[in-house]
Amino acid sequence: MQLTRIEAYGFRNLEGFVETSAGLNIFYGDNAQGKTNWLEAIYVLGSSKSFRTNQVRDCLNFNTHEARIRGEVLRGTLRKQLQLFLNDTTKQLFINGKREAVTRYLGNLDVFVFSLEEMDVIRGDPTSRRRFLDRGVATLMPSFIGTLAKYNHLLKQKNRLLAEASQSKAPETFYPQVEVWNDQLVEAGTVIHKARVRYIERLNQTLDENDHGRAIFGAERINLRYKSHLEGKGDLDQYRQLFRERLEVRLAAEVASGHALLGPHRDDLEILADGREVARFGSAGQQRSALILLDLAQVSIYNFTYEESPVLLIDDIDAELDRGRIEALLVVLEGNAQTFISTSRRSIANRYRDRAAVYWVEQGQAVNEPSSVSRLASQDPENSADELARAVRERVDQEESEDLGMQAE
Amino acid sequence: MLDYAEPVTKLIDELKRLPGIGHKSAQRLAFHLLRADRAETARLIEAITEVKERIILCSTCNNITDVDPCRYCTSPGRDQGIILVVEEPFNIVAFEKTREYKGLYHVLHGALSPIRGIGPDDLKIKNLLERLRAGEVREIILATNPNTEGEATANYLSKLMRPLGPRITRIAMGIPVGSDLEYADEVTMHKALANRHEM
Ligand SMILES: [Zn+2]
Repeated sequence: MQLTRIEAYGFRNLEGFVETSAGLNIFYGDNAQGKTNWLEAIYVLGSSKSFRTNQVRDCLNFNTHEARIRGEVLRGTLRKQLQLFLNDTTKQLFINGKREAVTRYLGNLDVFVFSLEEMDVIRGDPTSRRRFLDRGVATLMPSFIGTLAKYNHLLKQKNRLLAEASQSKAPETFYPQVEVWNDQLVEAGTVIHKARVRYIERLNQTLDENDHGRAIFGAERINLRYKSHLEGKGDLDQYRQLFRERLEVRLAAEVASGHALLGPHRDDLEILADGREVARFGSAGQQRSALILLDLAQVSIYNFTYEESPVLLIDDIDAELDRGRIEALLVVLEGNAQTFISTSRRSIANRYRDRAAVYWVEQGQAVNEPSSVSRLASQDPENSADELARAVRERVDQEESEDLGMQAE
Repeated sequence: MLDYAEPVTKLIDELKRLPGIGHKSAQRLAFHLLRADRAETARLIEAITEVKERIILCSTCNNITDVDPCRYCTSPGRDQGIILVVEEPFNIVAFEKTREYKGLYHVLHGALSPIRGIGPDDLKIKNLLERLRAGEVREIILATNPNTEGEATANYLSKLMRPLGPRITRIAMGIPVGSDLEYADEVTMHKALANRHEM
């Protein structure tokens, strides 16, 4: 899957288009100029949602109140134009100029994002970890989104009933009603539990197989453990039966407390490095690396399932990753998947200039910069070979001093 | 100052109370009525008055009717031993169209939904139990909607009625015609699979 062109107007501060490269693409520029906005635009074009805000409408430019993102996707020899139009009241999706329903639109450009916001998966509350997991499951099983929605709806109904029951003078008269919502919660909850457990098994398998993991993370081994709220209460392999039994046992307690105490909405995920929780024992660098390994594992499961690579976005690549780890990560991705990274560091742009398409972002516009040597040559065609060599040398020195500065941070 | 003379504003406001009618539609309807001749508006007024005066709920099955008991309940050709339970009167029309079903009906006038404040006491369950106790009913077919509320209502009724002895069945549920299999949720898929039939 490859994005060959992206065009954006009225989306945050973006204006214009970029012809993108099949391999590595680097957007760099000063802060608040729009480099992350370009990555976000790609994400929104693919998923119709943003990875930075819950309301994609927040991305509308304050002045225009109207945004348009267009892109061209190449799969094999098949080209498709995708377009997303957004204003204060509507969101419209188009494929090859024809308006399409969201279910038909999604899946034409699958985008995975590695961003700092994701650090919540490690440091945040269980909600972030469940969301990470559920998003992964949904890429393999689109129906999972419907199952989750159903479960959440049932939970809302049950919670409302429990709240009413807890205020009642005769709470036990509510038991038969609570039970009928439990019946359905058991069904949907079992599907969710099983799908998550199965997905974690695959993630662990993939994490074990990936040699590059060690190069990025260091010596430690990352793996995951699903922490069901029913742990220690019985046989989790017989989840449906166990969940049903526990709901029966805890019925009075749930009614008394006025809200649902049991269900996969209370589960969590443990992320372990050599058996120790990364959230508690890992440095910031180790945490980001662990997360990137998880992201990479998700990508390889996707590749295996669809025999195709999604498009990858790595926002703020240098945040909490040192030079060695960035290098290891990009080596893994090189030739594997089309990748877009954003950085505010000129040194990173310069270091990969010969292996990547580099775009300088200023006031929302992205300008393709030619590779370093040819640019130096074209800037001053009278340069002699010696002068050119000296200029390259100076650039390398400058880069090294920038990197020294970076390591000192 | 009001946008329009008071009687017009009042009409627009009343029309806006109707489900599915927003301000623009209400305005369009109001101006249509304003321009229509008297005979046309009189017919509408009469139709509304008649529906309010003559339509009642059948005391047996709660269907809307102009005679009590309703025509289904008194039809000699229908099987008095089977009752099909639905949420709304218009659900009956859907079953009648099939011309396959020859039993009786029972209308609950809703489904359980704590979010909307609807509990068992808000549904017409009491006279369903009375019909069962009368003893002639062999089978109850639960035909509430195939969504979470309809399902909860069916489960609730089935537990309530089981001690009273009739056979209790639930209409088969699965994938609606014309929808994408890929996006049906897994619980629905399980059900569709469990209820598959020989071909
Ligand atoms: Zn009747």
